[in-house]
Amino acid sequence: MSERLRDTVYLVFMTITVVALAALVLAAPDRDDRVQELGSRIRCPVCEGEAIIDSPAPMARDMMKLIRQRVDEGASDEEILSEITSSYSGAVLLDPPAEGATLWLWLAPLLALAGGISVILWWRAHPGGTPGSAKSATPSSPRRRSRAIAGGLLVTLVLGAVVVAAGSALQDREGPGGGAADLDSVDPSLVSNETMEAVIGANQDDPSIDGMRLALAERYFRAGDYRSAFPHYLAIAQSGTAADETAHTALVRLGWMAYDGNGEVETALELLDQALDIDAGSPMALYLKGLVLWCGADRPEEAGDLFQAVLDQADLEDETRTEVSDDLAAARRGEGCA
Amino acid sequence: MLSLLGTLGLLSALLGSVLLTWRGWLAATGHTDRGLAPAARLVLAGAAVAMGAMQLALITDDFSLAYVANHHASTTPFPFNVATAWAALEGSIILWGLVLAGFTWMMLRRHSRSPDRLGAAALAVMGAVAVFFFALMLTVANPFEVCTEAIANGCAASSPWPFAAVQAPLEGRGPNPLLQNHLLMAIHPPMLYLGYVGMTVPFAYAIGALALGLPGVDWLRRSHRSTVVAWSFLTVGIVLGGWWAYEVLSWGGYWAWDPVENASLMPWLVATAFLHSALVQRRRGMLQAWNFVLVISVFALTILGTFLTRSGTIQSVHSFTQSAIGPVLLGFLLVVVVGSFALFSARAHLVGSTPRIDHLVSREGSFLANNLLLTLYAFVVLTGTTYPLVVEAFSGARVGVGAPFFNRLAVPLSFALLLMMGLGPVLPWRLAPPRLLWLRTRGPAVIALAAGLLTALTVTRIGWVILTVVLGVFVLACSSGVLAEQARRQPGRHEGRLRATLEVIRSDRGFWGGQLSHAGVVLVALGIAFAANLGAHAEAVMSPGDTVVFAGHTFIYESPFQRSAPGKSTSGARLTVTEDGSFRATLEPSANYFGADPTGVSTPDALHLPGGDIYVTMLRLDAAGVTLVFDTSPLIWLIWLGGGVVAGGGAIAMTGRRAGTMAPARQTADV
Repeated sequence: MSERLRDTVYLVFMTITVVALAALVLAAPDRDDRVQELGSRIRCPVCEGEAIIDSPAPMARDMMKLIRQRVDEGASDEEILSEITSSYSGAVLLDPPAEGATLWLWLAPLLALAGGISVILWWRAHPGGTPGSAKSATPSSPRRRSRAIAGGLLVTLVLGAVVVAAGSALQDREGPGGGAADLDSVDPSLVSNETMEAVIGANQDDPSIDGMRLALAERYFRAGDYRSAFPHYLAIAQSGTAADETAHTALVRLGWMAYDGNGEVETALELLDQALDIDAGSPMALYLKGLVLWCGADRPEEAGDLFQAVLDQADLEDETRTEVSDDLAAARRGEGCA
Repeated sequence: MLSLLGTLGLLSALLGSVLLTWRGWLAATGHTDRGLAPAARLVLAGAAVAMGAMQLALITDDFSLAYVANHHASTTPFPFNVATAWAALEGSIILWGLVLAGFTWMMLRRHSRSPDRLGAAALAVMGAVAVFFFALMLTVANPFEVCTEAIANGCAASSPWPFAAVQAPLEGRGPNPLLQNHLLMAIHPPMLYLGYVGMTVPFAYAIGALALGLPGVDWLRRSHRSTVVAWSFLTVGIVLGGWWAYEVLSWGGYWAWDPVENASLMPWLVATAFLHSALVQRRRGMLQAWNFVLVISVFALTILGTFLTRSGTIQSVHSFTQSAIGPVLLGFLLVVVVGSFALFSARAHLVGSTPRIDHLVSREGSFLANNLLLTLYAFVVLTGTTYPLVVEAFSGARVGVGAPFFNRLAVPLSFALLLMMGLGPVLPWRLAPPRLLWLRTRGPAVIALAAGLLTALTVTRIGWVILTVVLGVFVLACSSGVLAEQARRQPGRHEGRLRATLEVIRSDRGFWGGQLSHAGVVLVALGIAFAANLGAHAEAVMSPGDTVVFAGHTFIYESPFQRSAPGKSTSGARLTVTEDGSFRATLEPSANYFGADPTGVSTPDALHLPGGDIYVTMLRLDAAGVTLVFDTSPLIWLIWLGGGVVAGGGAIAMTGRRAGTMAPARQTADV
């Protein structure tokens, strides 16, 4: 058999196998493992670094049950993930999206790859051109030498900055008396209100308690127990250390409670304005301020403008949109609030 | 009095380290080459005394030591009492110091046979690293503090002063339940430490060479053997860790991209890159500067790994300990990184590589690709591990980075590495003409594709598994092809094919050891692909007498059971397993409770089958019945076997060239 013929035989065989393999793989029945796939992308909030699919914790099993149910109901992956992140915050996502704070997580490896390839190509194209190459640079060449030293120092500085940053992050996380670490792993939904009060009481001065405070206050708020919710929202609003989002929520709630519970229109408007200072586009704050103006101060025009501002937000849920548009129409007609 | 003995051991070791650094530096700068051996012996003896004192304290239940009171109980059985010496921070650093002293002593033996400046400088660096660790043991992480305030089952306050008024508790707290649940946990840490600490040796030679202005290949040749030894132990340590996780942690997995697992993987990846790029420098004189960068990075990553494991700052299943040691280790890391790279910069004019690569399609080119992939891999792991901390530091926001992120990037990188593992060995040095490349790869490619087709027709049609099979078989076929080709050309081939083949392997153990490691990596890849894609999962709530059928086996729930042993109580469910009506096994998935610790450790039981284990984990046991999870992970044992083969390849490579006769290998497959 001539070499040429032999080559042809090999090539033909390879082509046939590759085509056959591709056909077999593509024709294989779809594995219906969306539940498993979603389960592996969500961190169990009460465990340490485990996905809910791997965790025997009751909470993780419940979340798996929820996912299974939603998949059966025909919900899309995005819907399910956004439902989960809205109840448990984005930190439960094990593969965070390539946007916002986690954009660089995905970009950095790509840039490193690009950098690595360009360094190899550049190195190959410039014989002796690297700083510190012995071929054309003699040890006595002071310019090259200082350039090399400067380059090395730069690298070192950058590395040093990264290490220092990481270090201070680690220091922050330690918290007083190691209490913070324990707090993080408490799942509010499994803990009674009394226990949460006790934990919060014992950690008054720990800024990382704000999350639990908010969770407890929200519990009271939803149950209509404004009296118990109030001190917690107040503590968050006054703490000065709470994350913007947390403080914003607390101010909105305080504002609404001032109006709904005590009928204090001026205080309510002041608090809602403070909340809007933190997040000027918050639909919740805008809507509630509108309601207070409309129902409490009888200023339907201003309320209408605020409702319009809510409707200008792109990412409203359909239900909210309907409700706000109804109110807007009523306010524009000059009707009293219902 | 064991506190005094241990403290004296540590003091002697510290003294020895200081002497070694000082004497080593004198010898390296051309002064008298004396006093090195006694100093190194003092370090080893001091570390051995310290470890001996700790072991004696554990075996004799000497709760006057705070460490023993807090991490040991009189009911802890052998070998877990011995292993308790490295079950927590302070004790594990004794092990670290002892291993470091051992490596130093082996370096000294070589240095004594043929003393020179480089060897002395490297010993001085070893001494300096030892100074740090022994000083650590005498300050923030003192394992020999005596207990001054006893509480029930433990010690509330302690003093480093051995003569302080002792108040010993009657009973100790006992080790972390997870750590006394499986024998593997007793040997996994020492293996890992042999790997971590061994990486100090190439670092010491590199820093020595830089400090003396003696670049070249000498430091690489001298540290080669230690690097391979350390790398092999690191491999074993990582695989044992995965095996332990699979056997003990109830999630049934073996690798969760946990920060602490990542901490051991990063130095392994960069050390693997270093093993390959060191070869390029030894053969062709290229990549001098790059090798320094890699070896410094490996050492820095081992310190980072210790920091992540032992500071308790990253929450994970491994964070057994929390201590003030974090800032100190971080400071040391900073000194190592800044100091090393500053030294490197100051010597940059000496370490430029003279020859450049001729063609990218060549053996050198494949090593470049391999280094790019491995360092990128390590970079991905480093980014994913530290990103949440960095983000939290700057913005306060909490982000989660977990397995899906790592898998998304690591899987393609792993496939690219497999492909390069096949192509690399068939590529000749300098230039690979396309025709030669085709001739050498067409056979393996056909075999690999045929294997893929066979898998698709008989086992599974999942694309990832088939791709793994194709690439894995390609790697094996390429290596075998090179071996067969060389055996045919072997002068003594008329004496038989097998003999000629063995002769080829014997003539270049470095290369063929490496190929065996590649085969091990292929096994690991196959194990991961099969276990991850072909596993089944089911959950059942059963009452006594109920049966379930899973993976061709019938499981009958007989009854719950209770058992207690000194220091340990167990409650679980007893299952009988039958296949086709005949008895196969009895399984007892259970939860273990240790001492007074109310946290149970879920202990799954497994039916070990050649095709893969069936795992049964107990989730809950109450009056209503038992909740059980059934899992199969087909062929998962290939991962443990493959890990052993990778390390075995390292062992063979290490026996390749005897110390002192490290001429460049002439026989390497560069035909």
